[in-house]
Amino acid sequence: MASDSTDEPGVGAGSAGAHTGQSLLGEQLVPRPYFALSVWRVSKNFPGTRALDDVSIDVTGGTIHCLLGANGSGKSSLIKILAGVYQADPGGTVTIGADTIDADRTSPEWARSSGLHFVHQDLAIFNGLSVAENLAIGRGFPVNPVTKAVRWRALRRHARAVLDRFDVDVDPRRLVGQLRPAGRTMVAIARALQDQSDASEGVLILDEPTVSLPAVEVDVLFDALKRYAAAGQTIVYVTHRLDEVTRIADRVTVLRDGCVAATLQRAEITKDRLVELIVGRALDHSAASNATLDGEDLVLEVSDLSGGPLRGVSFGLRRGEVLGVAGLVGSGRTSVLTTLFGLQPPSSGMVKLDGKAVSFANIDDAMDAGFGFVPEDRSESAFVTMSLRENLSAAEVSKYWRGGLLRERAEAADARQSIKDFSIKAISDRQPFATLSGGNQQKTIVARWLRRRPKILLLDEPTQGVDVEARAEIYRLIREAVASGTSVIVVTADLEELARVSDRVVVLADGRITGEIRGPDIDPSQLTELVLSAAPDPHDSKLEASQP
Amino acid sequence: MTVVQTDKTGQGGDEESNQPNEKSGMQSALLFNVERYALPGLLIIVLVFFSLWSKTGHLFFSAADFQEVGFDYVYIGMLALASLLPLVCGEFDFSVGSNAGFTQIVVATAMARFHIPLPFAIMLAIAAGAFIGLGNGNTVARVGVNSLIVTLGTAGVLLGVVEWYTGSQSINNGISGSLINFGSENFIGIPDTVWLLFGVALVAYYVIEHTPYGRYLTSVGSNPRAARLVGLRVDRLKLSAFVLAGALAGLAGVLLVAKNGSATPEAGNVQDTLQALAAAYLGATSIRPGRFNVMGTMLAVYFIAFSVSGLAIAGVQSWISQVFSGAALFIAVVASTVIGRRRAGTG
Repeated sequence: MASDSTDEPGVGAGSAGAHTGQSLLGEQLVPRPYFALSVWRVSKNFPGTRALDDVSIDVTGGTIHCLLGANGSGKSSLIKILAGVYQADPGGTVTIGADTIDADRTSPEWARSSGLHFVHQDLAIFNGLSVAENLAIGRGFPVNPVTKAVRWRALRRHARAVLDRFDVDVDPRRLVGQLRPAGRTMVAIARALQDQSDASEGVLILDEPTVSLPAVEVDVLFDALKRYAAAGQTIVYVTHRLDEVTRIADRVTVLRDGCVAATLQRAEITKDRLVELIVGRALDHSAASNATLDGEDLVLEVSDLSGGPLRGVSFGLRRGEVLGVAGLVGSGRTSVLTTLFGLQPPSSGMVKLDGKAVSFANIDDAMDAGFGFVPEDRSESAFVTMSLRENLSAAEVSKYWRGGLLRERAEAADARQSIKDFSIKAISDRQPFATLSGGNQQKTIVARWLRRRPKILLLDEPTQGVDVEARAEIYRLIREAVASGTSVIVVTADLEELARVSDRVVVLADGRITGEIRGPDIDPSQLTELVLSAAPDPHDSKLEASQP
Repeated sequence: MTVVQTDKTGQGGDEESNQPNEKSGMQSALLFNVERYALPGLLIIVLVFFSLWSKTGHLFFSAADFQEVGFDYVYIGMLALASLLPLVCGEFDFSVGSNAGFTQIVVATAMARFHIPLPFAIMLAIAAGAFIGLGNGNTVARVGVNSLIVTLGTAGVLLGVVEWYTGSQSINNGISGSLINFGSENFIGIPDTVWLLFGVALVAYYVIEHTPYGRYLTSVGSNPRAARLVGLRVDRLKLSAFVLAGALAGLAGVLLVAKNGSATPEAGNVQDTLQALAAAYLGATSIRPGRFNVMGTMLAVYFIAFSVSGLAIAGVQSWISQVFSGAALFIAVVASTVIGRRRAGTG
C-alpha cells in the first residue's frame, strides 16, 4: 500500500484533530497530520552512555514502519521506553492516537491501555498448549459461572474467530509446538491483537520476529504482515536485517549511536543507502579481497566445511595469527567454532591440522589435538559451586594424578601462578568461583585454556558482559599467547573490537564466507559495511530446511 | 559497538562489579568455619547432653549402647554412601533402599536355596546391586530421563519383585553362620560391621576427594555442560556413579542379613532411602559446606543415630524418631539449598 500519504484516515473519527494546535509544550502551532504513534524529542541517558539522543519518529497509521540499527544504536532502548520497561529522561513526549504522555512517565499499564501491542523475539507462547489455550492465557478462559470449569467450546469458538480474523489457518485444538515456525509467530501476533475491535486501533510492535525463522517462514510471515497493514493495522517492525527492510517497509527510520540517522520513504529505500546510514559514511565498494593463503605457514586448513548452518566454509589459519569471524546472527559464526571443537559433527568438508586431516568424534580428541574453546555464555563453562583453583585446572585434572593421589599442593601452586600470570583478582585460589567478578571469571575461563598452551584457541564473544579494564586484559592475554605460537579464532558481534584485535577478518553470511579483510589497520566501518551488505538474499536458500 | 545482534544487555548494564571486598571476605571466612563445624559440634552436644541427662545418662554412655547404635546404623550409613555418588554428580538415586531389600533376598536365597558359599553369595548380591545401578544409570545418562522418576520406578518394581518371590515370608534358615557372626562380633570394642562401614567410607572419601574421577563427578554435578566442554564424558561418568551406588546398595543388603540374621521382605525400603538421603544432605552442610562429602555424611548418620537412641532411652515414644529423621532431612535440604545458593552467588 502507499505509504507516504500522510493524510491517511488512520483511526476512528475524532482523533484526527487531536494532534493539532495545542501540543504539550505549546510550541507547535501548525496542525500536524495524523500519526498512529509519535515519539517526540526523546532522550535517554544511562550512567556513562547516551542511549537515545533527541529521537523523534512519526509512524503513520496503517503502515509498516521499520526501525533499523546496529547493536547499541538505541532501538532496544526506544522499544523498552515504549513498553514502559524504562522511562526516558524528562523532556520528550510519546503520542498514541489522541493521547500524549511525557516520555519519562511511560509504564507497562500505560502501554497496554493506549493500545501498544508487543511481540518480542521470544514469543512467550506455550508450545505444550493448544492454540486456543495460548490465545486465552493472560486474557482469561471462559468459565461456567457455577463450577468455574473451562467452557471449552466457547474457548474454541473465540479462538476460531480470532484466527479467522488474522487469517491464520490452523485448528485451534492443535498444539502450538506442532505449528510451523511462522505459524507460532502469527499466533503470538493474534494473541496480542485479539482484543482490538478494529484493525486501525493501536500499534503492533514486532521486535526482531524473524531471528530464528527460516527464509520460507519469513515469506509467510511477511505476507501476513502486509495483509494486516492493508487492513489498517499500524506495525512498527524492529530489525537489523536490510533485506527485510527493503521487502516490507513503507518507511524506515535508521538509528545510529542513539540518534535518528534518517527516515526514508518507500521509494528512497535501497540496500546501499541503508548501509551508508547505519555505518555513517559513504560506501566504498573496493573493500573485500579474497586472496588465498597458499604457501603460508598454515596451522589449520578448513575446506568446504558444512553442517548445521554452515554451507561450505573454507579458510586457513596461520601460526600465531588472530583470525576474526564476523557475521550476523544466524550466519553460522558460532557453528564454525563448535564444529571445529567437535561439539557438532560436520556433514561434509575437511579440516587439516598441521597438514594432516583430522576429525573429532569427541571433545577430548579435539583437546588432545590442541584445541581450546571458550563458549559465548559463561554459564556454559563456569563451575560456580567449585573453587577458583578447580576452575583453573578443570581441563587438565589428570596432570595432578600422581602416585595414586590428586596432588593438590601442585595444583594450588599452579593456580597461584595462573592467578598472577593472568592478573586474576582474587583473595585466594580456594575462593569460591561465584564470588569473583564477571571480568575475573572470564579471565579464569580463558586462563583455563591458555594454561594448556593450545595450538588453536576458539573464542566466542570472549568479552561479553565484562568491564572495559578486564576486556583490555583479556585481549592482552590473548596477544601474549599468540606471541608464543598459539593461533586464535575469535567471534564477536562487536565489530570495532573485532577489527582491533584481529590480524585478519573473514565475513560469514548464510553459512558461507563472503569476504575478507586483512590488517594491519582494519577499519571497523568497512567491516560493518561488508557484514551488512553480505546479508543473505532470502530467496537463495535452497539448502535450508523448510519444515511444514 | 558497531553491529548487529540482538541487544542482550541494556546499554548501562554491561559492566559487572562485585569485586571481592576484604572485610566481607573475612566475615564470610568466619561464617564459613562456623558452618563447617556446626554438625560435629551438634554431634558432641547430643553426646554430652544425653550422657549427662539423668533420664538417659546411666544407659546412654554404656559400651553396649554405643555398640548397638553403631551397629544399627551401619546399614543406613552404607546406603548413605551409596546415594552419595549420584548426588555428587547431580543425580538422585531413590532406589538404594529397595535395592538393598532386593539384594538381601539375593544373598539369602543364594545360600539357603542354592547352597552357594558365602563369598560367592556376597559377590552375587553386589553384582545384582550393580546391575540394577546399570539399569538406572543407562536410563538416566543415555536416555536422559529425570533420575528421580527413574529410580522411584526402580524402587517400586524391586519392592514388588521381593514380595512376589518371597511370598512375604522371611528366609531364616540356611544363612551362613559366619555372616551372622560377622554381624555380632566386635574388634577393639567396635562391631566388625562398623569397621567395614568405616573402611568403605575411607575408600569413598579417597575416590571422591583425591582422584581425578571424583573431581570429574563433582564437575559434572556442578555444571554438566561445562564438564562436557572440558572434555569429560558426562554420560559415562553418570552411568558409573549409578553402578557404584548399586554395588554399595548390594553390600548394604548383605549387611542387612548380617544384622537381622535373616532376610525379611519388610526390610530394605523407601523409608531407608529417605534416611540415607537425609544423612547425605545433612552432611553437605558441613566439613565442605555446599558439597556432598563423605565425612559430613558419616557424621550426619551418627548424629541422627545418637539423637534417636537418646530419645528412645529417655522413653520418648517411637514416633518421635520418625519425626526426628524427617525433620533432619527437611532442615538439611533447606540448609544445603541456602548454602548452595549463597555459594553460587545468587542469594
